[in-house]
Amino acid sequence: MDDSTKRLLQRLIRRIPAQTLRTTLEKWGRLTAAQQRSMDFTQPKWALSEKLLAICEENGLTAKHITELEMTNVIDNPNQGMWYAFQLMDPEDDANSIELTQFKEQFKSHLRELVRPVSIKIKKHTDEAVWIRIAWGDSFSRPNHLKPTYVVHHLQTPYVFVTSLTSKQKPLLSQALVLSARYQAIKDANLSGRKLTAIRDLLMRKYQQVFPTMYPSPLGERNQVVSNPHIEKEQAEPAANRLQMACEAFGDGTLPQLQTVVYKLETKFRDHTNKTMTEREEPFSCVVKFASTNLLESLRHCASSGIASTPVTPLLSSILQKGRNYFVITDNGSGPSTQTRQPQT
Amino acid sequence: MICVLFSSAARTPTNSVVVERRSKSSKSYRQSYRSCVGAASRLCFTPGFTARRLNASRRAPKSHNVTDKVNPQQLALLMKTEWQLSYVTPLYQFRHTQLKSYSRQLSAFIAAEKQQGLAVEVEGAQSSFRVSISVVQGMVEADDDAETVLIQIHSKLLFAKKDEPQRPVWSGWLTCINGNPDYLRSLPEDFTCLPLFCSSGGEGLTAVVKSWFQQTFDCCFGTLEINHTSLQWLAALWTNCHAESSIQHLKMIWTLPVAPPLQVTYTVDPHDAWQLWSSVRKDPREESKGGEEAEEENSIDIEEVMEFMQGLKGHFYRHFRLDLSAGSLKQVTTALGSAKYSGKIKISNSRYMITTFTLLTECALLKMPL
Repeated sequence: MDDSTKRLLQRLIRRIPAQTLRTTLEKWGRLTAAQQRSMDFTQPKWALSEKLLAICEENGLTAKHITELEMTNVIDNPNQGMWYAFQLMDPEDDANSIELTQFKEQFKSHLRELVRPVSIKIKKHTDEAVWIRIAWGDSFSRPNHLKPTYVVHHLQTPYVFVTSLTSKQKPLLSQALVLSARYQAIKDANLSGRKLTAIRDLLMRKYQQVFPTMYPSPLGERNQVVSNPHIEKEQAEPAANRLQMACEAFGDGTLPQLQTVVYKLETKFRDHTNKTMTEREEPFSCVVKFASTNLLESLRHCASSGIASTPVTPLLSSILQKGRNYFVITDNGSGPSTQTRQPQT
Repeated sequence: MICVLFSSAARTPTNSVVVERRSKSSKSYRQSYRSCVGAASRLCFTPGFTARRLNASRRAPKSHNVTDKVNPQQLALLMKTEWQLSYVTPLYQFRHTQLKSYSRQLSAFIAAEKQQGLAVEVEGAQSSFRVSISVVQGMVEADDDAETVLIQIHSKLLFAKKDEPQRPVWSGWLTCINGNPDYLRSLPEDFTCLPLFCSSGGEGLTAVVKSWFQQTFDCCFGTLEINHTSLQWLAALWTNCHAESSIQHLKMIWTLPVAPPLQVTYTVDPHDAWQLWSSVRKDPREESKGGEEAEEENSIDIEEVMEFMQGLKGHFYRHFRLDLSAGSLKQVTTALGSAKYSGKIKISNSRYMITTFTLLTECALLKMPL
């Protein structure tokens, strides 16, 4: 093993959580049962790393095998780094019948035509997702295994999720994906987050759907401090109303865990008390970012508690309905990433 | 570099000139800011009450060329660092001429604390501390302001090479910019008012420095937040500077009390923010006609600040139907500086620093206990 491979292994061992190191190594399956038993997982990471290095030398393992171990770890712990969603557009006739082996071969050959040297590893996960690991090189250097790009594509769907992709690599990957998945184009889905599962669920509608008409009265579940029954009765109705509206916009179940949503506003400033600004021709530009550990949950609470007026504005409810968390808002704009909307006064 | 600069003209308001002015109100006990101004305002319509709030009107920030007055090297030490603010009650028998001896006392005090194994131990393996206390000459605005004092602590790492220079590990400064003259003049003799304490460095050293000041000058320290109103003031005051010096953006961060907590970052284009600000400004000519103040520069009213914020919140509400007033403003940032509710301030452009510190001095004076 050369130095760069050793470094790769050491860094990888540091990253794998100590509790899951044993199972990850088992899944990897490159150690003999005896070697696996000889590992003492109560030891500190650096000692384990030394031991594993020795075993790998002994078994004659190469960089290729180490990247397998990395992939096993990333597939098991996908909620790291920033994931960006893309959507394939205009499928060819055979897009729906494409199968794994075909996709694999096609993708590898297309990407290799575009960039060389490149190291590509493709693995199918149990949930029908195809995981692709790409280590990029260029005419002057070998593939850099320390900064790989990960791509997750669910076959027969137009969705692709990508992490650690530079703007230089983006057109290369896009072209290889479009050609091998049998589509004609790919676009930014304006959705990103730290939790791959959350953005996947949001795009693939794998969360509890909202059916407003079927919604039962939620009042019984609410645990309010009992005070004056008259006051309570009077407040109950608007509270129930708000809650219902909140649930109509965001559902009443568990929500995909998004961290942020960004709105770029280029709209006119309208305020009947401010004539100067209202008469101004140019739009008022600003950027609004909402952030929370569970954004949709926070927004639902805003609506149900009355901090946000109900009904919930389409700007907020379209995060869930359109599966996006980046919006450009103009009064009468057009273009691919623009949501045309006339804000109410 | 210890206190070479201050000897000639350092202004400690215990020298003869100031004493003369103070003799008429000389009392044996120090008064608090509020009781003093409260007493003065008994003559006015709202006895005592006005002094419990920030000024409702302040002068529009002028581009001060602080660099003309203050040594640029010293000024650089105050800039681009995020300072944690505290208030300090007036210092008893503090002399701007004794800084050299204070430096020695403080370093001995730190060494003693370290030997006791208290506080400083956690800072890491550091050997001897060198303290330098100096005057930041020119970092004052009104005649009654006492000169700003800068404290720097240098230390050498335990395993550093012999010839390696000591590194700055902690710094802090005490200042008073445009302090309320009525209050400052009412202070008894022998008290120096430097109400704003800014510190940057390990918590342990901050605690030791504070405790030395408490023991030596019979003062006390307290936490100083930059509250909602002050943050709104800063947003408006900084935006007001845009015509002269670009603010690049006006960024405000709110938090909303929902579960889990929601943070809203609202970043406004500098030109648009400035236009909105200009639109809520009252006509200065109209002002001078009605107002009795003969000041040539226009003043800014709290109503204008509130109207500006209301405009920003209104634009936000029109899109998101979400009321920012339900939350609290936590941070304001422009290219001129950033201020946080937790009492952290960073100045990035020295030109408007006097305006910012005038506001903070006022906050510190208000926060002092009665």
